Amino acid sequence: MSNTYSNDDSIPINFTAIVLGWLLPGLGHVSVGQKRRGFLIMGGALFLVFCGTLVGGIDAVDHNKDGLWFIAQVWCGPVVVGIDLLNQTFIAPLPIADKVTLVGLSHANEMGTLFIAMAGLMNFVVLLDVIHAKRGEDFELRSHAQDRRAS
Amino acid sequence: MLAWTPFLEPMNAMQSVWYLLLLPMVFGISIVYRALREKQYANYWRSVAIMTGQVVIGIVGIAAALGLFVQIVIPLLNQP
Repeated sequence: MSNTYSNDDSIPINFTAIVLGWLLPGLGHVSVGQKRRGFLIMGGALFLVFCGTLVGGIDAVDHNKDGLWFIAQVWCGPVVVGIDLLNQTFIAPLPIADKVTLVGLSHANEMGTLFIAMAGLMNFVVLLDVIHAKRGEDFELRSHAQDRRAS
Repeated sequence: MLAWTPFLEPMNAMQSVWYLLLLPMVFGISIVYRALREKQYANYWRSVAIMTGQVVIGIVGIAAALGLFVQIVIPLLNQP
């Protein structure tokens, strides 16, 4: 009985693309020649981070008070680390009376945090995809390459 | 609202309509997910719209079912 499944062991692991994909969502795919796919991923992930920060303020990322959420958010890379740094520098040290208008409460904080966590988790999925992504397999080309590999 | 500083202050005006934020969230997730799964760019935005609609309808359906359960079924179970 012949094995019709493709053997992924022969495909090299794209270490550089994984690092680039973490540094900026989608950059890993761009680096392996999947430019259109990469820029769409970049747009989607940064759209989620933009909306999350807009809704929850920069307090939506806080590695001290929302440590578990930060584990999900940090997969989006230095963008999220930068927002956390801004939060820890400008908002966290303030006395409570000054923080009142800067810290998100209830739904604003929850949704802002959730938006950025979703961006991080989606970028984790993107990083899993780029591990074995083949050079130049952008839209249209990916289906043909997969057909060749399966046969 | 006029004194609101975007990105520095949270958007507290959305507190009462927070559930509407489901739409941009699902849209963003769909953009990333369909970019990975779609094979033809010609179908891309259509599939993003379909996935967004499916997820929103699914969550609204679950919310309606849970609402009915809490408002109708549980009071019925509590009747002597």
